[in-house]
Amino acid sequence: MSVTIRIIPCLDVREGRVVKGINFEDIADAGDPAEAAQRYDKEGADEICMLDIDASYEARSTTLETVEKIANQVFIPFTVGGGIKSVNDVEVLLKTGADKVSINTSAIINPKLVEEASREFGSQCIVVAIDAKFNGKDWSVYTHGGKNKTDLDALSWSKKVEQLGAGEILMTSMDKDGTKSGFDNILNQTLADNLNIPLIASGGAGELDHLVDAVKLGKADAVLAASIFHYKEISIKKVKEALKNQGLSVRL
Amino acid sequence: MKIGVIDYGASNIFSVVRAFNSLGASTKVLKKSKDFENIDKLVFPGQGSMGACLKKLSENDLRDSLIFSLKNLPFLGICLGLQILFSESEESEDEKGLGIFPEKIKKFSEFKDRTIKIPHMGWNQVEFSQSHFIWEGLESSKDFYFVHSYASKEIDEKYIYSKTFHGESFNSAVAKDNIFATQFHPEKSGKSGLNLLQNFIDWKI
Repeated sequence: MSVTIRIIPCLDVREGRVVKGINFEDIADAGDPAEAAQRYDKEGADEICMLDIDASYEARSTTLETVEKIANQVFIPFTVGGGIKSVNDVEVLLKTGADKVSINTSAIINPKLVEEASREFGSQCIVVAIDAKFNGKDWSVYTHGGKNKTDLDALSWSKKVEQLGAGEILMTSMDKDGTKSGFDNILNQTLADNLNIPLIASGGAGELDHLVDAVKLGKADAVLAASIFHYKEISIKKVKEALKNQGLSVRL
Repeated sequence: MKIGVIDYGASNIFSVVRAFNSLGASTKVLKKSKDFENIDKLVFPGQGSMGACLKKLSENDLRDSLIFSLKNLPFLGICLGLQILFSESEESEDEKGLGIFPEKIKKFSEFKDRTIKIPHMGWNQVEFSQSHFIWEGLESSKDFYFVHSYASKEIDEKYIYSKTFHGESFNSAVAKDNIFATQFHPEKSGKSGLNLLQNFIDWKI
């Protein structure tokens, strides 16, 4: 009896369509976001995450339409990320139907945003997403969808945003993302051992065992994946059964 | 039939409104005391800090209307909407709650090994303690979605309708007469949550 491990399918959305990049590039179309969200809800997803991957100013109204469409049909927690720059952006998304927002680049440019947004709306709705790559010693944090390297390392940055009021960390390994070779369990465990807030592991899911290992070895509280669910390679139900067989608590 | 949803100004009420609307129920957002006219049921969805919530209720002149309606209408409290029914909370020692239940809301115990995280966030099992119309069609031990750091741990046994375990046992649903309150969020608990909200729509007292 305890909080269940959460399985979170992620919709990478561009111009109102689900797409999936490999190593943050090559984009392939994977369908209508609202339809996909409904399908995942029926299949037993514990949350839905939607990332607006180009998040341009012009595409903002399309994004909000998509958020509203999903929120009207799906009654499980719903996180939206991409292009959030201000407390007002957070407020607009929450009012449109998001339950949580995920902030990445803007948290690095302006850490105060995390502090202000969590004070205003509560830590529970502020997720800080981190993209990082191993540099031989620790994990360097990147901004702008993995384009620009910063001086930050993932562990100290995650601890910093926890202090600022983040309610969860969404940790994406750039080394693993799109490779289908498993999660970066060392990175995840390093963070999990040092954080009091939940850790969502992302990047690298390819097989059932990868998701189980992300929890058992990586100590993640939740596992996020995109393409394996989109292309129906692995069902959410199968993942949960595998976790349950390992004695982990899941919602079935 | 119209369901009034209290909007005291610091809580995301939209998902509750959306969930009721998806079930075909008509809702009315209540921001001032005069909005309380012509409603048949009352929902109080709350998030954030209890002190801030109680302060806003008084500032916006909602407290008296709420107390009056609590005596007459079927009431569903969600999350903070459960906690304000108690007399006090460790979260805000200066602000007094509504006192339907005389006990105190307390913070979760902390665990040094980080195995129990606070806030209690995620899906957890709701173990029924006694039957209630609101539980119709639902099974005990099913998961519902929680987000909170404070909880009801002590209350007269007869008001406890479910318990949940997060490092320690707490009361995840309490009820008395026309009042039913859940610590979890039915509006975010998928099919089970919608089932519960439908029962509230159908509940006659």
